[in-house]
Amino acid sequence: MQHRIRWAAVAAAPLALVLASCAAPAESEEAIDFASLSHEELIELAIEEGEVSVYAFTSRIATVEEAFEAEYPGIDVVATDISSTEQIQRLASEHAAGSATADVAYVSDAPVVITELVDEGVLLPYVPERVTGSLAEEYRTPLVSNRLSTKVLMYNEQAHPDGAPVENLWELTEPAWAGEVVLVDPNVRGDYLDLATELSLQADAMAEAYEAHFGEAIELEDGVPDAGLQFLKDLYANDAILTDDTDNVNAAVGATGQEDPPVGFTSYSDRRDNEDEGWALQVAADVVPSPGIVFPAMLGLTAEPANPAAARLLIDFMMGDDSETGGSAFEPFYVAGDYPTRDDIAAPADAVSLDELGAWIIDPQRTAEARGDVADFLLTIQ
Amino acid sequence: MIAVRRLSTIFARPITWIALLVAAVLVVLVAAPLAGLVAATVREDGGGSWADVLASSLSQNLFWQPLGNSLLVAIGTGLISTLLGGFLAWVVVMSDVPGRRIIGVLATIPFALPSFAIALAWESVFRNDRLGGNPGLLASLGVAVPDALSWGALPVTLTLVAHYYSLSFVVVAAALAGIGGDLIAAAELTGASRARVAARIALPAVAPALLSGFLLAFAEGISNFAVPALLGLPVRFQTLSTRLYGAISTGDTERGYVLAILLVLVAAVVLYLGNRATRGRSFAVITGKASRARTVRTGPWRWPLLAASLALVTATTIIPGLVLAVSTLLRRTNDLDGGFTLHFWIGASDPSIAQGFRGVLSDPVLLQAGMGTIALGASVALCAGALGLVAAYVVRRVRSNVVGAGIGFLAYVPFLIPGIALGAAFIAQFGAPIGPLPSLYGTFAILVVAGTAASLPFAFQTSRSALGQVSNELEEAALVAGAGTGRRIGRILLPLSARGVTGGAMLVFVTMVRDLSLVVLLVTPATPLLAVQTFRYTSEGFTQHANAITLVIAAVSVAATLLARRLQGARRPWTES
Repeated sequence: MQHRIRWAAVAAAPLALVLASCAAPAESEEAIDFASLSHEELIELAIEEGEVSVYAFTSRIATVEEAFEAEYPGIDVVATDISSTEQIQRLASEHAAGSATADVAYVSDAPVVITELVDEGVLLPYVPERVTGSLAEEYRTPLVSNRLSTKVLMYNEQAHPDGAPVENLWELTEPAWAGEVVLVDPNVRGDYLDLATELSLQADAMAEAYEAHFGEAIELEDGVPDAGLQFLKDLYANDAILTDDTDNVNAAVGATGQEDPPVGFTSYSDRRDNEDEGWALQVAADVVPSPGIVFPAMLGLTAEPANPAAARLLIDFMMGDDSETGGSAFEPFYVAGDYPTRDDIAAPADAVSLDELGAWIIDPQRTAEARGDVADFLLTIQ
Repeated sequence: MIAVRRLSTIFARPITWIALLVAAVLVVLVAAPLAGLVAATVREDGGGSWADVLASSLSQNLFWQPLGNSLLVAIGTGLISTLLGGFLAWVVVMSDVPGRRIIGVLATIPFALPSFAIALAWESVFRNDRLGGNPGLLASLGVAVPDALSWGALPVTLTLVAHYYSLSFVVVAAALAGIGGDLIAAAELTGASRARVAARIALPAVAPALLSGFLLAFAEGISNFAVPALLGLPVRFQTLSTRLYGAISTGDTERGYVLAILLVLVAAVVLYLGNRATRGRSFAVITGKASRARTVRTGPWRWPLLAASLALVTATTIIPGLVLAVSTLLRRTNDLDGGFTLHFWIGASDPSIAQGFRGVLSDPVLLQAGMGTIALGASVALCAGALGLVAAYVVRRVRSNVVGAGIGFLAYVPFLIPGIALGAAFIAQFGAPIGPLPSLYGTFAILVVAGTAASLPFAFQTSRSALGQVSNELEEAALVAGAGTGRRIGRILLPLSARGVTGGAMLVFVTMVRDLSLVVLLVTPATPLLAVQTFRYTSEGFTQHANAITLVIAAVSVAATLLARRLQGARRPWTES
């Protein structure tokens, strides 16, 4: 109920704006209360619009486009591939200039999306009625998410056939792992900064893990605010190797034929490329206190979409159909190591379940509040 | 009264109006985005980002140390690039070394290759086991490669040199070709030694070109992100560009913009010093009596010179090109063990490979994207070339130092404004209708406008160096004969500086077809571009596809280069031997 009210409020703002700025508004469009439409009515309107434009951070949108156009032949999907960072800048600039060109944004980098786009009214939420019941609160607000990705500790299973060589994250700060931990520089890439931030937010768990490993309570150094940041400081001091790109981490950790491969933080779903690329990536799911983070990919409406009905229909489509795998709409995202947000879509086989993985699910709002300080802290420990 | 009369004399001169026009265009294209950048850093939190960067506990690692590294890399890149580019230009234009035409073609290619391809070539030889994964050639032969050779300042600088010496080559080769043979012949008749001819005639004559080449390589070197990120981060070698990119991509845009403004200031200082070194001297070598360039006989030195030139172009053109080409044929990314395939070029959609993406040549979008790219590159080359030429002419003729320096500054710094910021500025400026004019946003025109702004430095620097060679006497003679400004430019300056100007336009074209960072904010699906295709592939880690497109882009660039050379030859038949 509360959700409805909120929706009405955000929908009213741009509506009023459009009404005020247009001398002769097309009444049929302005008067529509989308929340009260049936799915069939929405399709009808969307076909009338005939087009929907989407900015997407992944080129898998091309597959979505094909599937959508097969399902709704009258509607043309115009997809633009654009990274999350550039998408955020572009959406904000377009909004400010009053020249929006997209109807839908499919974007990662949730903490920045929330502070720069949602809070500023650039992106608005749309949660299709039919999936509301199967989505946890955190995947409905502030924007709807259709899947979760990971940044977790991975190792080389060819070199370590009996399981992960690490049981506790704090081992990585010891001499045995000096120069043998690879990650993308969190000061260069947002998802890795989210990982670093989560370590800080989970300071209690990190302190507990410290005690479990070293047998004594952690003592923070001067100027180090919490156990998570102490871990990062010790990790950097242990010659952790920074790089610029997840693919570099995968190749460094995963390449087969290495005697003494490093471990590293990367995407669990990249394991699906093992055979293709000659890697032996495997997740260290049992590491204490957690192998890393899980974070959402979000779908939002732009503030004044030119094709409001088709935009809603596309978001509805990308949430998957009612089959167990989400159907053809969800297929490009149905990948082992990524997780559907809907609890009625079964997670793909060939990967441990979200529970077994035990990665921390980030809270984008909290992450957004803390990540600036974490970025600054990391700058001081280079 | 006197002031009014003086003003009216100033405004009676056409150059004043041209200067005003150029200034107005530069204000819209460069000064306004720069001002937007500055405004963005003080608007939100009252300039807190400035304090963070310059005067906080973060400053050391956020600014000062990266600044030192950036200066090291960029000055190294500028100096070595100028040296190597100048050397090759001399070999190609002035010497009788065999095969110099081929060397001339090969020397322009590194700039058409993406800098990461050259970095990859470096890695494929010198990578050690610090990062893990597959080591390079030397390490797999059992040689212990020190970190300093694999990562950090040295490989970053040398890789950038390998990429940017082409710039100096293009500019200096044009300048050398402008030296009339009679000048050298006269010097030789007086009994001057070859070294003396080089030091007293050739070198001063190309000094403006050497400076232009240095300035371009410096600015490119200090703003390049891909190379220091790839080869620097593993040893935590941070530059201003990695810090700037990092700040923007982790959502701290203001801090990134502060770093960008500081980069612009650093470049302004370098520009000032460079101009001061050459101020007040005439480098004119083209007078009324043009004659064919004279070839220097190198005698027994021709073979060592050939060997050195060939080694240089092989290391920077052929090896990176081959590495890139081979990488598109590898079944597994950068790994020879998986075997070879043509799938990434011509394969049909196969769900088991790269999520069903077909080979790049089988993709119907490719042709369209290729045409769009060429159209954009050519349009921007034309616009930037014209603007750069006129701006350089104004700087040459205008009497006010302030106006000249201002135009010179604005025409130099666009490299240093991050593409994402420039793109955002153009959305802000042209996103809404301006008066009766419709919004340019989403059109091809805005891409051309933004591209012109971003690539102006190439056009301006090459034109400036080329015009610097043309003697004022020629123009004055035409003036006495009653020729107007347009006629003087069209009939005297343009033909005489054609080689330099087309060289600049070619650099602009190459940058436009290869560079993504700017257009990604402005492009729409209606104008598909090759660089955007590359992004489509890299975003999902399809390296082979991306590299295949990159190779297509390089091929387009090389074709353009060859075409430009033909045109140059046609314009100035007397410089061809």
